[in-house]
Amino acid sequence: MSSRARRLGLLPAFGGVLLVLPLLLTPNLVNAVIKMMIAGLFALSFSLAMGQAGMLSFGHSAYYGLGAFATLHLMKAVERSLVAWPTPLLPLAGAAAGLLCGLAFGWLATQRTGVYFAMVTLALAELLLTLAPTWNSVFGGEAGISTMRMNSWSIDFASDRGVYYLTLAWVAGSTWCLWAFTRTPMGRLALAVRDNEHRVRFLGFNTHGAKTLIFAISTMFTGVAGALLAIANEATNYTIFSAQASANVVLQTFIGGAGTFFGPALGAAIMTFFARVTSDLTRSWLLYQGLVFVIVMLFVPDGIGGLISVHAHRLRASAFKHLTLPYLVCLVVGVLLLVGVVFTVESVHVVLSDAYAVLRRANGGALVPYSLFGRQFHPLSPWTWAIPLVSILAGAALLPVARRLTRHGWSRAVGESAA
Amino acid sequence: MEFLIVSVLNGVVHGLLLFMVSAGLTLIFGMMGVLNFAHAWFYMLGAYVGFTLTRTVGFWAGLIAAPLIVGGCGVLVERYMLRRVHKYGHTHELLLTFGLAFIIEELIKLCYGDFPVNYAMPAYMKFAAFTLYETNYPFYRLFMGIVALAMFAALYVLLTRTRVGIVVRAATLKPVMVEALGHNLPVVFMGVFAGGAALAGLAGAVAGAFFPTGPNMAVDFGTLVFVVVVVGGLGSLEGALVASLMIGLFISFSVGLNWSLSDLLALVGLGGWAREVGGLLTLQLSTVAASMPFLLMLLVLLIRPAGLFGDRQ
Amino acid sequence: MSPPATAAPVLELRDVHKSFGGTPIIRGVNLAVKRGQRHALIGPNGAGKSTLFNLISGHYVPSAGQILLNGQPIAGLTPYAINRRGLSRSFQITSLFPRMSVAENLRISVMGRHGLRFSLFRPVRALAQVAAEVDEYLEKLRLTRRRDDPAGALAYSEQRALEIGMALATNPEVLLLDEPTAGMSREESAYTVALIRAVTEGKTLLVVEHDMSVVFTLCDQISVLVYGEIIASGEPEAVRVNPKVQEAYLGEEVAT
Ligand SMILES: Nc1ncnc2c1ncn2[C@@H]1O[C@H](COP(=O)(O)OP(=O)(O)OP(=O)(O)O)[C@@H](O)[C@H]1O
Ligand SMILES: [Mg+2]
Repeated sequence: MSSRARRLGLLPAFGGVLLVLPLLLTPNLVNAVIKMMIAGLFALSFSLAMGQAGMLSFGHSAYYGLGAFATLHLMKAVERSLVAWPTPLLPLAGAAAGLLCGLAFGWLATQRTGVYFAMVTLALAELLLTLAPTWNSVFGGEAGISTMRMNSWSIDFASDRGVYYLTLAWVAGSTWCLWAFTRTPMGRLALAVRDNEHRVRFLGFNTHGAKTLIFAISTMFTGVAGALLAIANEATNYTIFSAQASANVVLQTFIGGAGTFFGPALGAAIMTFFARVTSDLTRSWLLYQGLVFVIVMLFVPDGIGGLISVHAHRLRASAFKHLTLPYLVCLVVGVLLLVGVVFTVESVHVVLSDAYAVLRRANGGALVPYSLFGRQFHPLSPWTWAIPLVSILAGAALLPVARRLTRHGWSRAVGESAA
Repeated sequence: MEFLIVSVLNGVVHGLLLFMVSAGLTLIFGMMGVLNFAHAWFYMLGAYVGFTLTRTVGFWAGLIAAPLIVGGCGVLVERYMLRRVHKYGHTHELLLTFGLAFIIEELIKLCYGDFPVNYAMPAYMKFAAFTLYETNYPFYRLFMGIVALAMFAALYVLLTRTRVGIVVRAATLKPVMVEALGHNLPVVFMGVFAGGAALAGLAGAVAGAFFPTGPNMAVDFGTLVFVVVVVGGLGSLEGALVASLMIGLFISFSVGLNWSLSDLLALVGLGGWAREVGGLLTLQLSTVAASMPFLLMLLVLLIRPAGLFGDRQ
Repeated sequence: MSPPATAAPVLELRDVHKSFGGTPIIRGVNLAVKRGQRHALIGPNGAGKSTLFNLISGHYVPSAGQILLNGQPIAGLTPYAINRRGLSRSFQITSLFPRMSVAENLRISVMGRHGLRFSLFRPVRALAQVAAEVDEYLEKLRLTRRRDDPAGALAYSEQRALEIGMALATNPEVLLLDEPTAGMSREESAYTVALIRAVTEGKTLLVVEHDMSVVFTLCDQISVLVYGEIIASGEPEAVRVNPKVQEAYLGEEVAT
């Protein structure tokens, strides 16, 4: 009961923070939060198909892109005064595009299950990716489409703030709908289809139809996310269909935990945030995201959300004292490994970069020191490579200790909570 | 006539390359139930290994080392990663290989940059095998075809004529039974996984010297491979072969044909209308050649949802 | 006892054949199950009993022959279409929704019957009628105490009870049960038989069963399937003394 009360208190607090955020942050950060909310909605809608109904789609970027293009076309029509459509309702265009294409493509893709389904969705997105650059009238060729937001309902949409509240309203509304979906008979049916589609068929349900509909609902909200992106950026081109975008949402969803409702949104928001802050520091963010994903898949199969929910549901507040030390050791291990990996990756990146090649040529081909994190390192000096080597070795040596401590601490904490 | 012969040859060679990669994928799937998403990324890895060794040691060294190195990677992936997550189910395994694909691609971008590298065959292989009317047909294309054919001959003999092959084929059908008969199933799995990866690596090293070698090659080739297995039916080698050749031919013909839907409509007297409408109707087949395999897949899905050689799941 | 079977068969198989990859498994089965009958299908392992169920319930399409439900042909229809025409089945190999709770497993069945198929605009909590029926089935199946446990965590015999319950909860006119009491203790088996008897009152039952005591207490008709053919069909006593049956199958078990 207490955890429920805690959760009920958490939600308004979180909403309140989101409401006042633009008043506190710089425009650049406001923009970052907009992108985080959009990524969160994308992940939530993706995980409606994956987490609820077990349909792993590798091609959700298709509906994201179609939602964006549909919205941009509507915006252009508004710009040319062909139709009068208020800016706050623009995402409806994305929703419609996502729903219709989701129905058509979903009907095809859900003919197959499991890995076939994944491959078919991937191929459908790839079809759009190959078609879009050559189809000028719809996708604007290689350049894509760009347009302008109009002010309406006497709201200023030229500023980031207007866009922020528009995005917030739509993301909040969509999230509520997605959550409510899990409570409907259809939402329960989705779970049944995930668990055992075969049996559902013998209980009087047309599973192909059900899966098509579930997929289309998922893509409808993906379309909304795409529409919000289009409104925020006022432009897009065919690269929005790329496998990269589909891959991102899969990675983020599972890092966040596909088995929980809010996990995917959390994963997407965190990953988008880090992508944003690290974009000036490193060009290897995607590599790190991939590494995080594989580590999560190997060691934390339920993702961050699963981890949180296990702590919230199985442990009493007083039991956490057993976990302080183990988690501190885990943190140390994590930091050591992180230092080692990041140092190696960034060093390799610098040494193999074009800029460094120019530098070498200027020095007659010799391997000259390179600068990283504001310091100079020599590529041939053993001291340079001692840094990652020592930290990785230390991390690896401590890893079994951390695991043992965590296991002990965890069983003691669970024991105390159960008592 | 000339167009026909050249297109058929190109299509067959491309199809054989596709089969080299999809065969491994299908074998692994049939046996372990794992769809190795990273399979095409092993192909890319092979190309880059070939490229690196060509620059340092030599072309042939690359051709020999690529399958060995990539096969070794396959062993590591199977032994230390896939086996760990086996208990969470096949979707989890698929996702893990998906993440690996992502990492391989980013590592390659880290080491070789975002743009294609200049991986080329040795100069003495750049000659025309024969001249057809006015077209010089490059020897290297035939070479790729021959390598692929040699691989299948070897694979076929291995699978049908040797003890190992019999165990592997049996394990594809009834893994539990094979284990009960005292064969070491995990080792068989590892071997097949490594073998599939090695095949993909070899294909990459061979094809990379002719086609562009860049960080996008895996996605582009990989989606084609997936189309092949959807069209052919996963787990079926015959299906993979037929679908590979079909798609190879399909692509090579559509690249060369300047047809559009409006030409088709002109046959029924709607040509003028179609040209006015424009858009999709006047797109030429050659410009949308890249989309053709996906359209073929949609067609197969509509007509035979289980694929050409697949059972009803 | 049960109401007298009316003349018209509810379920009728006419010369049904099925082969897998050239191997004939069902070789010309004719069977008529009359309304209100409790009909047992018996036969040795591998005779094709489950395959016959798979044909009737729409999992497989017959290679030849006709299957009629209430006089309407159903061969080739999808399983869900057949279910909506009033035929439901259970599986020999338990087939549940392992990660959902016991109550939710039953709720899916009940929802289907109430036509709540693609219902999107009200929460399941508001469906009082469905909830009441689920509770009723939980009580009947003696699973009330486990209502919130995941079905995958139940003991084997409890899973078997739920397996039957899910078939019952669609409230069919014709019920097909594939070895309902397999793996149950004597007491559980007796209870299940009584339950099946109670809920199939006035309905039609076709049941595959290896336990002859169950067959003789529950059923008023028996058909014997051997190698894909019905070799005998009729009242229990007649079948028991049929020399063909004794020779082919029942032999030592019942002839005493
Ligand atoms: N999909 C299939 N493909 C090939 N053969 C099958 C298939 N399904 C069933 N069979 C074969 O059909 C025969 C009959 O199987 P079935 O399961 O119907 O027997 P059964 O009478 O239910 O036996 P049991 O009492 O053991 O349940 C078996 O030999 C089986 O191997
Ligand atoms: Mg059976």
